[in-house]
Amino acid sequence: MTAATSAPVRPRTPRATSAVPLSAARLLRVELRRNAMPWILPLIAALFWFDSYRPSIGTAQLYGLRTFWNMGQGHTIIDFGPFVAAVAAWMGSRDGRRGLADLVTATARPRWATQLVTWAATAIWAVAAYLVFVAAMFVMYAHQGVGGTPPWWWVAAGVTAVAAFSAAGFAIGAYWPSRFAAPVAAFAGFLAMAMSSQAGFKYTSGWALILPTNSNGNFDGNAQGDSGIFYPWLPDLPIARIMFLAGIAVVALGLTGLPARAGGRGLRRAAAVLTLAGVVSAGTAVGLARTAQESAHGMIIPALHDAANDAPISYTPACGRAAGVPVCLNPAYRRWLPDVTAALAPVLAGVAGLPGAPAQASQVAAAYPSGDGGPPQAVTLGGHPLMLRLSLGLLNMPGPCGFCDGPVAAKQFADQIRLLFAHAFVGAGSGSGGPAQQAVQAALLRGAGIPFAAQPRLLATTGNFPESGLGPAAGPVYAAARRFAARPAAARHAWLAAHLAALRAGRLTLQELP
Amino acid sequence: MNVEISDVTRRFGRTQAVAGVSLETGPGVFGLLGPNGAGKTTLLRMMATVIPPSSGRVRLLGRDSSGYGPRREIRRRLGYLPQNLGYYPGFTVVEFVEYFALLKEMPPGQVPRAVATAIERVDLGGRARAKLRTLSGGMLRRAGIAQAIVNEPDLLLLDEPTAGLDPEQRVAFRALLRDLGERTTVIVSTHLVEDVGAACNEVALMDAGKIVFQGTPGELTARGEGSGAAGDAPLERGYSAVLAAARSATAAA
Repeated sequence: MTAATSAPVRPRTPRATSAVPLSAARLLRVELRRNAMPWILPLIAALFWFDSYRPSIGTAQLYGLRTFWNMGQGHTIIDFGPFVAAVAAWMGSRDGRRGLADLVTATARPRWATQLVTWAATAIWAVAAYLVFVAAMFVMYAHQGVGGTPPWWWVAAGVTAVAAFSAAGFAIGAYWPSRFAAPVAAFAGFLAMAMSSQAGFKYTSGWALILPTNSNGNFDGNAQGDSGIFYPWLPDLPIARIMFLAGIAVVALGLTGLPARAGGRGLRRAAAVLTLAGVVSAGTAVGLARTAQESAHGMIIPALHDAANDAPISYTPACGRAAGVPVCLNPAYRRWLPDVTAALAPVLAGVAGLPGAPAQASQVAAAYPSGDGGPPQAVTLGGHPLMLRLSLGLLNMPGPCGFCDGPVAAKQFADQIRLLFAHAFVGAGSGSGGPAQQAVQAALLRGAGIPFAAQPRLLATTGNFPESGLGPAAGPVYAAARRFAARPAAARHAWLAAHLAALRAGRLTLQELP
Repeated sequence: MNVEISDVTRRFGRTQAVAGVSLETGPGVFGLLGPNGAGKTTLLRMMATVIPPSSGRVRLLGRDSSGYGPRREIRRRLGYLPQNLGYYPGFTVVEFVEYFALLKEMPPGQVPRAVATAIERVDLGGRARAKLRTLSGGMLRRAGIAQAIVNEPDLLLLDEPTAGLDPEQRVAFRALLRDLGERTTVIVSTHLVEDVGAACNEVALMDAGKIVFQGTPGELTARGEGSGAAGDAPLERGYSAVLAAARSATAAA
């Protein structure tokens, strides 16, 4: 030790106000460099890979489906939350654990201000990691040709959740400076996520929608594949969740500023105000979630809803031809255009030239709920000139299908499209149709290459298809269908041209079929 | 006077750690001696504004430490080395000292130079980039001293500063203390009477929460002469004699 060293002249200049943020920035730099969060990131990365990314690539290449697992059901939050809470608790308890509480208390900077810098460094690492991991996942999706737009609002909700976990964990550590604070915070975080998921299964509407891993209402229900494709992702519920999670974060941070050692009276008063503001924010968000209503394109919260978000996304369709009929899809579905045209070609060929045959096939947004009492139909006819409307968002497209028994084969998809087309063509609507309609439907399918014997199984396995009650391929309906199908194509065509209107109106009986 | 303490007490539950201490001192090195449990550390923690007194008044650097605003002003001009110094194992020596310089609200522009100076003064320049977890106990103690003096404090409180230092470092530290004491009020709590003899202008001896002696090291030495008290060195004999007298007076009362 060098007593002879001439000490520099002591600075006694009053502190400039601008020095405060600069000082905080330098503290933050030190805290960022020596934070414990980077040590846990490899573990979170592995979990993210196996729990958030890998299962998602088993679904069709659409953002609405790919992100339903990791964003809608909140697996990205589950992967981050408990670990972030644990590390934050470790950092929050640091001064107490390391025997530095006296030394830190004896410094001029208010304890709360110092703690906020430590928390900020922890949260910056966690949030940055979350954003990097999600960005990497989206880049990989882009390379895989995933269609649609990413659900940025749900990413924002995830970021807020990570920040909330860090704040809650930090508060646990600050109040309980023990080496056990970290595992307790991790367990509490895991328990919170588990309870949130369970509540999501139990309560499908109301206050529970605010919980970050409650998947109900996150996406568009049956039409989830079309979220961010035909209409923007609705931000209503994510905004409410951001309010809720930010409220929790603010409450946790405010609580750390309440003890007498945290700082002066003014600062502690500010902490109390902040705590109260957090409670109000979280409480308001819960109240807003109670008013949420399911709409055709997502969850609407009237107080937060912006009508501009109901405007459809403009796009240039990807078009092909099936039996000479133009078939146009949203570009997000471009990869399936060959499957759709191949599926429609035989059934469109079978009705070509009929006055009730569609002049064009076009994909439309899958509206949910259907509104007419029956299950929503993926294929409908309507408009002038008559158009075949394809709500492909209601179907499992060919290829990987995460929540199915296995991948969807092209033939399986084609048969379903043909059934849905025939069902729509005979005018059965969202019901099972009358016997004459069912018989013509069966004959049309037979003409498209689906044997009568295979049809009952097809009817049973097609999603959203109404219960027909036909049973095995026997009985009067199939007898009439066989009789009709046995007639020459020209005769069938001529009969349909003459009787299609009556058939669609449900005025024909089985006996009236030729 | 940089330190003005009037009739200060401090209780922890039923235990009275400090029982009516009054003390005044200005620039110079002030030694606080006493056996284990005498109340030295509690008195230093009150002077460091870590804990408030149960009663009495603590006035430091011309400010009453009971209000938050004045307390914050005091802390800007305070250096403190606790008895049980913790550390952040992942921090380097530079980061550790810089961290506390910033917590003491030093002007950020002056921090790098002040940190380098403080580290040089405790002879840790060669290990400035080493992480604290790699340092020996003595080196950690020196890092602790560096953070205490980084802001060139007007009041420096050192609790057992030489614990863990080797003899060579202890000698160097005493020289540093004498140097600091020329401008600063340095209060050193220690068990080691030789530290007091070598570096302090004034000394107080505490026992059972009270100051039982206050004077110069020479006066303390004089108390031991001819007393027959135990001790290998004159100052130790003075220490033992004063303690024995204080305890017999308490027993008689």
